[in-house]
Amino acid sequence: MRRPTRTLTVSLIAALALAAPAAAGARALLIDGSTSVFPLMTQLAAAYHKATKAPTPKINQGTSDVGVSDVAAGRVDIGDVSRNPEEGDPKGLVFTKIARDGVCMITNPKNPISNLNQQTVQAIFTGDVREWSEVPGAKISGPIDLVDRIASSGTQAAFQDIFLGESLKISPSAEAEESNGLVQNKVKTDENAIGFVSFAFTSGVNPVGYQGIPCTLQNAKSGQYQGVRNFWMVTKGAPKGPAKKFIEWIVSSKNATARKIINSEWIAVH
Amino acid sequence: MLKSLLSGRTFRDLLGDGAPAAERRTELALRTLAVGVLVVILGIAIVVFSKAWPSFSHNGLSWFGSGGDVDTQFEAMINGPRDPANYVYHFKAWPLIWATILTSGLAVIFGMVISILAAVFVVELAPARVKRAIDPTIRLLAGVPSVVYGLIGILAIAPWVEHNFISQQRKRSVEYVVQLTGANLSVAVLILTVMIVPIMVAIIAGALESVPRSWTEGSAALGVNRWRTTWRVSLRTVRPAIVAAAVLATARALGEAIMLAMVAGSRGFSPNPLDGTTFLFEPVRPLAATIVHYVEDLNVVPVEHTLYAMAAVLLVSCALLSLAGWAAKQPMKRYGIRT
Amino acid sequence: MSATQALTPPPSSIRSAKQRDSIRSWPLADRVAYLLCWIVGIGLCLMAAAIVLFMLVKGVSYLRPSLLIEHPSASQNQAASGGFLDPIEGTLILTAIGIAIAAPLGVGLAVWMSEYQRPAWLARLVESGIEMIAGAPSVLLAMFGLALFARPALAFLSQTSAGGSVFGRSFLTAGAMMSLLALPLVVASTREALLQVPAHVREASYALGKTKATTIRKVLLPSVRPSIANGVTLGVGRIVGDTAIVVILLGATIRLEGAGGAPLLSTLRGTGGTLTSYVLFNSPAGEGNAHEKAYAAAFVLLLMVLLLNVIVMRLNSSRAGTGQSLGASSRWRVMTGALPWIR
Repeated sequence: MRRPTRTLTVSLIAALALAAPAAAGARALLIDGSTSVFPLMTQLAAAYHKATKAPTPKINQGTSDVGVSDVAAGRVDIGDVSRNPEEGDPKGLVFTKIARDGVCMITNPKNPISNLNQQTVQAIFTGDVREWSEVPGAKISGPIDLVDRIASSGTQAAFQDIFLGESLKISPSAEAEESNGLVQNKVKTDENAIGFVSFAFTSGVNPVGYQGIPCTLQNAKSGQYQGVRNFWMVTKGAPKGPAKKFIEWIVSSKNATARKIINSEWIAVH
Repeated sequence: MLKSLLSGRTFRDLLGDGAPAAERRTELALRTLAVGVLVVILGIAIVVFSKAWPSFSHNGLSWFGSGGDVDTQFEAMINGPRDPANYVYHFKAWPLIWATILTSGLAVIFGMVISILAAVFVVELAPARVKRAIDPTIRLLAGVPSVVYGLIGILAIAPWVEHNFISQQRKRSVEYVVQLTGANLSVAVLILTVMIVPIMVAIIAGALESVPRSWTEGSAALGVNRWRTTWRVSLRTVRPAIVAAAVLATARALGEAIMLAMVAGSRGFSPNPLDGTTFLFEPVRPLAATIVHYVEDLNVVPVEHTLYAMAAVLLVSCALLSLAGWAAKQPMKRYGIRT
Repeated sequence: MSATQALTPPPSSIRSAKQRDSIRSWPLADRVAYLLCWIVGIGLCLMAAAIVLFMLVKGVSYLRPSLLIEHPSASQNQAASGGFLDPIEGTLILTAIGIAIAAPLGVGLAVWMSEYQRPAWLARLVESGIEMIAGAPSVLLAMFGLALFARPALAFLSQTSAGGSVFGRSFLTAGAMMSLLALPLVVASTREALLQVPAHVREASYALGKTKATTIRKVLLPSVRPSIANGVTLGVGRIVGDTAIVVILLGATIRLEGAGGAPLLSTLRGTGGTLTSYVLFNSPAGEGNAHEKAYAAAFVLLLMVLLLNVIVMRLNSSRAGTGQSLGASSRWRVMTGALPWIR
């Protein structure tokens, strides 16, 4: 039994010795964060790989706050964020704007409200109004089912900033969903539901206009629709290395591919 | 004590003292392994409690109290200031504790009744063919991963419950406090019961099979009918096994995180029994499920300490549970029942 | 029974009289209880059948062979793209690591607990300790692992980020905690079998001049190999089905993300997912929003569990064949992997 034991020990030590230095090979970029930015980022990553032959960046979700803390802790190279920088964010992060996005309120197709003004929106989402019969333009009656996002969502932060303002908060009794897709699902299946999603998730549900302006990409681009927020890519310190290449590829004003992708469902800023 | 722990000099055997060094080395190595297990357990307790301490120290005993919505408190922590001097630690865990007590308690009560009846069926009443089919079935059910139960719950059972039991009228009755969906207490208790029944049936059935036949035959010889024999003789004999099954099932129910995170509702709400039947349809989120729900925000320091505090509560309750089980079996030793 | 068989059978008129105790003569309470037992028993069978059939129907309708060999794709439309090859690989890797740690440790512990048991107070403590680990929720073990492996001393087990903080989540760390899940099952099964080996086997070995260690290695352990295999299979079943440790300690990414460096080590030190975390991700409780994939993955998971159960059954029947027979109660205990230290 001696020789096998010795071989085993030696190979184990060799394996551990290999583990010690982490070679910096051609590693793919690691990106995570907002579920709203996810559809855009996956398309950009695929196009980047096709254009430059660099390894396709790997993209996960999680929500904006997860992206911020992961990039601050160094777990990912770039974080996707769909809300503006907040004072609670860790220090030393650099935010690079890459696009703008519309946030639409959505209702079930059986309840095709065409427009809500600011007062009604605030009353509904803070829980002051609980019945559809009290909402002008509602096509159904019954209790309102509010659909919210979880606390770390950037879309939720953006929605509260734009539609509710500084002092009002979404009612705590609202149902909190993990991602845009799940809000879309919930509103699709529940006729009493109302929620808010990024513009890319409005198929199959009724987008509600705000302050008289319908929520369409055109209105968002022209600036008439107010519910527009920024998409940022966050790095720890100024972007370096592969991250810098990727970000510069996206924001370059000469890059028609990236601009075309962004303009399909979002608003280009470069 | 340390000396006796480390030296092999307590080695007394058929081989006598002066055993070869290889023998002593083997025993020492294995004893170190055994001590290692204890070190791991001690380590778990130390690590969890040391990380949990800040949350407890900032809140005191009111950590266990009620007041305010749990999710709002978490939100305040997540969006709060990031410098150590100003961390927001305010937390009142009662809704979560109440949810844990409700789901585990109800599931174990229903589960015990069902398992005892089912175990009696399997051991005494089932025809031989059915019995041969039930053995592997129970083993399969006990091995189904909790995420599969959660999937069935959230995709099949919750919509069914929502469609049939949650009318608009019911929603209106609590609309100022909480929204009712298909993910609620009743579905959680139902699936949790289904999860713990196979384990309990296995233990109780195993114990029932080892009741000495002379006891049951003696009872039958005295003219007692089959059911009463089972109830009065067999089940009384296996009371230690029933206690053990209940302890094991409660431990499983307390620790069940994933299935409950999927099925029990997205708000940490405290169901109110005074709401009548609507009480059954209110969302709940027990402690373990809350840990899983908020684990992606672990890098926020106050959230981390709060989650470890919840883990510490789980640890203590599981330890207390084992102790209670051991204590419950002690009186039974008096009657010579094998415990 | 044999006494009555020796007599000539009674005339048919008496034989046709009911030998058994008819339920009609029982008090109402007993009749109700009897009926309840039947209802609950049949209900249990029906429910088991319902669960299996439901998953079968959903799984067959959503599972395509291509799903098993495609990588998950990071696209918005999860439902229509990609498969779950990475989660399957993740399950296999994690189980391998967990069992590789748990099996030798478990067997060693069981040997110590049944053969040495000195000092006595330590033996009692270790027995309670294993029971405590068996009863610990996997969430608790995951949180412990998270805190433990974030220490810089253990950084080699996972990745270290540019900022200097240890990630602490990798296959190695999750595998270490998974081994704690499987450990009590291996220990219980092996110990039960070792205690059943008759004393004369050991005595014969000593009489031939063998030392205790050799006896254990050459005589006892080979004879309880089926039980070890049984315990290992039960442990594998438990590891395969666990989600909490994967979600918390493995990073729960949908693809295997290596840590950079040597190929095998890169995967082991990197993050990934398993079938269980993949099901969670695609269910309404995660962000994937693709319940078809969730059903398909859950079906594959169920098939794995079924296969493991079949293996356990085979092992038990082969064990009965080799003369290492167990009493009925032990059979139940060991077959279900329930707490065998309840004596």
